[in-house]
Amino acid sequence: MTKKYSIWLRIVIVVVITAVALLITSLMGISMGSSQTDFHSFFNAILGKDSTLLLIIWQIRFPRVLLAAFVGGTLSLGGLVFQALLRNPLAEPYILGISGGAAIGGIIGILLNLSRFPGVCATAFTGSMATLALVFVFSSGKTALAKDSLLLSGVILNSFCAAVIMFLVSIVQDSRLHSIIFWLMGDLSHTDLEHIGYISILLIPCFIFIFGMSHPMNLLLMGKDLAQSMGVRVKTVSLSLLIVTSFMISVTVSYCGLIGFVGLVMPHLLRMLLGSDHRILVPACIFGGGAYMVLCDLLARILPESGEMSVGVITAMIGAPLFIFLLKRPGT
Amino acid sequence: MSIPDQPKRVIALAPSITEIIYAIDQGHRLVGVTRFSDYPSQAESLPKVGSYIQLDLERIVALQPDLCIAVKDGNPQDIAFRIESLQIPLYAVDPRNVEAVMETILEIGNLLNAQKKANTLSNCMKQRIQKITQLTKNVQKRPHVFFQIGISPIVSVGTNTFIHELIGLSGGINLTQGSVPYPRYSKEQVISMSPDVFIITSMARQAIFNNVKKEWQKWQSIPAVRNNRIHLVDSNLFDRASPRLVDGLELLLKLIHPSIWKKMLEHPQ
Repeated sequence: MTKKYSIWLRIVIVVVITAVALLITSLMGISMGSSQTDFHSFFNAILGKDSTLLLIIWQIRFPRVLLAAFVGGTLSLGGLVFQALLRNPLAEPYILGISGGAAIGGIIGILLNLSRFPGVCATAFTGSMATLALVFVFSSGKTALAKDSLLLSGVILNSFCAAVIMFLVSIVQDSRLHSIIFWLMGDLSHTDLEHIGYISILLIPCFIFIFGMSHPMNLLLMGKDLAQSMGVRVKTVSLSLLIVTSFMISVTVSYCGLIGFVGLVMPHLLRMLLGSDHRILVPACIFGGGAYMVLCDLLARILPESGEMSVGVITAMIGAPLFIFLLKRPGT
Repeated sequence: MSIPDQPKRVIALAPSITEIIYAIDQGHRLVGVTRFSDYPSQAESLPKVGSYIQLDLERIVALQPDLCIAVKDGNPQDIAFRIESLQIPLYAVDPRNVEAVMETILEIGNLLNAQKKANTLSNCMKQRIQKITQLTKNVQKRPHVFFQIGISPIVSVGTNTFIHELIGLSGGINLTQGSVPYPRYSKEQVISMSPDVFIITSMARQAIFNNVKKEWQKWQSIPAVRNNRIHLVDSNLFDRASPRLVDGLELLLKLIHPSIWKKMLEHPQ
């Protein structure tokens, strides 16, 4: 009984800490932008002295910060789930080819002149499910590489997806090319509160479902046989987790394009800090990943002198060195 | 959103719009332009609101414009909708061909209360174009032009572009006409088309142009190479829906029909 009490307490503490981090980064996110970066004018605006800036804060920065938080949370959580299911530290949606599949679907959607919602989202989801199915087909059966075959098939499919994406990009010869390229690099700039509403309706149930599955995920980590003997229906749990995760990844990819490394960096960082209990890691990934992405997006907005940088550039530039640092840290 | 009678804070959402506004002497109304708005040079010092493809909404709002002028084919539609949803008046123009550019000038003249200047400008453009079309109307030999806008890969222009239209008006034939706006070609295909004139835009700088020219000069079977008719031109004269398109047209006449060009200089009327 005391054990159960302590895990809930730990969850609450971790949620409070990561949520505060998210809140702080979000405050920074709405107080700075390409037109102004000092806190003084931000406070003036909040006090009602600058209606233009107030409009910018609520209509432009606020939806964007919300979007970044959702995307960061989703990608980190996606990485966490894949790492648990495949029991491989390298697994993340990007590496498994699922983002790539979603991107192909998304580009096809754009080429068919579908709207972002629900058209491109649906084609992106179809693409990610197709690659997921292919990864499973390729990795099934008894091969010499059985242990890593899922990941290897994913890597192969990812390169294949990259080639198909390049193919599609090179056959497009009109103005849609620009929008595809910006979208591929990871673009959070076009959003409003209405879309955020749709996104939250789609994503929050996924978050809740995965949190509900966090205990079975813990058991899965101990091995399939052991999990089975402890009453986990391994096939059902794995499959439903994979589908739900792919669904939320394709929602974010269809809306924001490809943003890499978040799904790798955040779960590992949090695991090193908090241990490997998924009941804690799931909420930590949602809030912590969100905070990380809000920060990256803020950098993407204010670093360039004119225009803005793609947020995917920032996540990769911070993510890759951070990941190497974590790997090289003594004692790990 | 209604458009004010006397817009005082205008943002031009494409370099071509900036050029038109300055050409009708209304530059003082501009408070913001897009990146690459480099003509006339006064425009360069104005605040930038991103590129015309990737507009920075926050900077647009922060400049408190009372009118944004957008281009239908260029500015992303969703951004245009968002600008309107933020209660900023937006007017979209659609200069798809040379004729439409002159109409656009009149439209912008109306918006900014500069009808007279806009009329004069568009009439002047019309006259300059007419003069050239009259000279080239009955020309016997129409040189085959390969207009190269991309170096690697080799990219040219299809039918639905200003460049195609200008080549036709100046008495040449665009070798790459077709429904694809910016078709790509292999070297082999270009050689087999044996163009009479090569025109390469300055998207490439001089040094790169020299390399490209040298590369084509290896192929003496191409008439343009044999007759040394490989030319470098300023791309801004050809791909912007601005009054400078007519300068581009006159330049093309000079490069495609040098004799007619000389005649025109000798007999200005």
